[in-house]
Amino acid sequence: MRITFPHLGNTHLAAKALFDGLGIECIIPPFSSNEALELGSKISPEEMCLPYKIMMGNYLQSIEMGADTIILPGSCGPCRFGEYCELQINALKKIGHDLTFIVIDSPFDIGKKELLNRLSKISDSSTKGKVQKIRALKTAYNVIELIEKIEAVANYLTGYEVNKGAFKRLLKECKINAAKAITASDMVNILKDYKKKIKAIPINKHKSPVKIAIIGEIYTIIEPFSNLYIEDKLMDYGVATKRMLTPSWWVKDAVLTPLKLNSIGIRLASREYLPHYIGGHARECIGEVLIAQKDKFDGAIQIFPMGCMPEIVSKAILPAISNDKDFPIMTLVVDEMTGEAGYITRIEAFIDMLERKKNNVLYGS
Amino acid sequence: MKVGVPKGLLYYKYHPFIERFLIELGAEVITSVDTNKNILNLGVKYCVDEACLPIKIFHGHIMDIKDKCDLLIIPRIMRVREREFICPKFCGLPEMILYSIPNMPKLMTEPIYATNEKELYTWCKKLGKMITKETSKIRGAFNSALEEQRNFKFGIKDEGFKITIALVGHPYNLYDTFINMNLVKKLNTMGVGVITEEYVEEEKIKLEVKTLFKRPFWTFAANSYGFTTAIAKENEIDGAIYISSFACGIDSVVLELIKEKIEDFPLLVLKVDEHTGEGGLDTRIEAFIDMIERKNNNENNISTFRQHTSCS
Repeated sequence: MRITFPHLGNTHLAAKALFDGLGIECIIPPFSSNEALELGSKISPEEMCLPYKIMMGNYLQSIEMGADTIILPGSCGPCRFGEYCELQINALKKIGHDLTFIVIDSPFDIGKKELLNRLSKISDSSTKGKVQKIRALKTAYNVIELIEKIEAVANYLTGYEVNKGAFKRLLKECKINAAKAITASDMVNILKDYKKKIKAIPINKHKSPVKIAIIGEIYTIIEPFSNLYIEDKLMDYGVATKRMLTPSWWVKDAVLTPLKLNSIGIRLASREYLPHYIGGHARECIGEVLIAQKDKFDGAIQIFPMGCMPEIVSKAILPAISNDKDFPIMTLVVDEMTGEAGYITRIEAFIDMLERKKNNVLYGS
Repeated sequence: MKVGVPKGLLYYKYHPFIERFLIELGAEVITSVDTNKNILNLGVKYCVDEACLPIKIFHGHIMDIKDKCDLLIIPRIMRVREREFICPKFCGLPEMILYSIPNMPKLMTEPIYATNEKELYTWCKKLGKMITKETSKIRGAFNSALEEQRNFKFGIKDEGFKITIALVGHPYNLYDTFINMNLVKKLNTMGVGVITEEYVEEEKIKLEVKTLFKRPFWTFAANSYGFTTAIAKENEIDGAIYISSFACGIDSVVLELIKEKIEDFPLLVLKVDEHTGEGGLDTRIEAFIDMIERKNNNENNISTFRQHTSCS
């Protein structure tokens, strides 16, 4: 069995650690790129949202490399992500790729038995013992937490750096070296090493950079290709950014939801504007804006793929928040036709505006 | 008390219930006018750009009645069947409107979980308390409203036409004659009868839905899928027209599933948005009907190349 999975930010590191630990061969598709998107768009329904098309591209590229099993998390929310699996199985079958799909759904929708049944497909092909399997899972979780921490620190502290580009360089180096790790524990060590290194980078605490919160649809804000590498771009501009939605947040949220203990901060913050869960991460989006505003951020950028149903609702609410709290919010809608130049212009204009507002230069005149 | 009921979205499916309920409670029911160009323009003006046509039109209906009533009902329909949804936009509809349209009257935006009578009654109780002080009347009004809803005949089934086609889509696209530009009437004058999902047994629909790998979690998606695939199998009906609003996330999935299943059963997808021109729509329907007629006359459907002709 050669397992593959769609890209989502840094999850490929965790997946590699997991499958290496389990002793299962896994194929990491090439990083999402224009080529992947083009390949994927070709066999995707026209009106489907962007994540679907990029994922399809990922699959096709891994199939070329020899993958025969695809792992995909599912959902049964009102967002169409939950229907991806069915359409993707059909689409791949149509062009002659009959693969095994392992869809990890919530046990509340498919039943505990079915979930264990599906998971056993993975664990049966591993020769390792139970203890080692659990250890592999734990290591994978460690990896994702570490890389997220490093990334979050780098993204935020870029605004305070003394030597321009120091954080960006280190982050890039870290990701490349971590991917090269031979064993899972190796990877953890490398990441721990970089965590120390990133703390050693000199910063100027007296600076007051523009601070922006990245909010919106989870896939498009985590997968850097789909948002045209917005975090890298903002790092170049010396902007401190923060993003609350991460793969490990998603895991925690999924585990805690049945107990109603998930993201309490977001729920409290969003109560005033959106008191119900409406699917996708619309409520999180609203909650994050309000938290960012309280944390004295300068603005927020919302990103979502064209046609995303839950984010359209939050987009309708955001202008009201922006007005009430005097908090600038910009919305960027991405799809396969997004042009980079227009995109950059909008980001630059937004940052310029935030800078002016911050320094009160000509603001309001 | 004047209670406003906007004539958009699921009004077309549940208006007997809500109207009867309000009348029984002694409220004056104010409905907005039928959808027209003015409503659409107002909706486009106030609604967020990315939303779909029915949502925009709903905004227009709100604009039409918001100053004419004391209490305005914006239905937040979370689900009408267990573990199913309608659409994320339905769940967030009150917020979309509240933050897009200024100067709203008093609102009723409690979530509706219409999975069974008890759940629905909790919503009705909340609504009733906003309207009248005589809470004892609520139960009676609720019962007669349910009765009214059950006795109301929905759906279309034309008889005596040579060609019959199935009309598929969300109820608000099928029954709002402005959105679909009087499609049913157009088809009838062309000598084509129409049938809708209400006239196919629910069992058949459920059976079809069960064949899917993943249980669809959208009520109308499940209905449309089951209906179309069921009639495609039976071969009594000549074709299907699916009315879909542009950028509808649900339709983008369901249409793929349907196309996958029905193979070369004739299917026409009509996309509607605020720019749809009537001329183009007419041309497409006529071409579709012509094609079906040819198919029927040309008995076994074999082309000169001995290949099956595809009609979708």
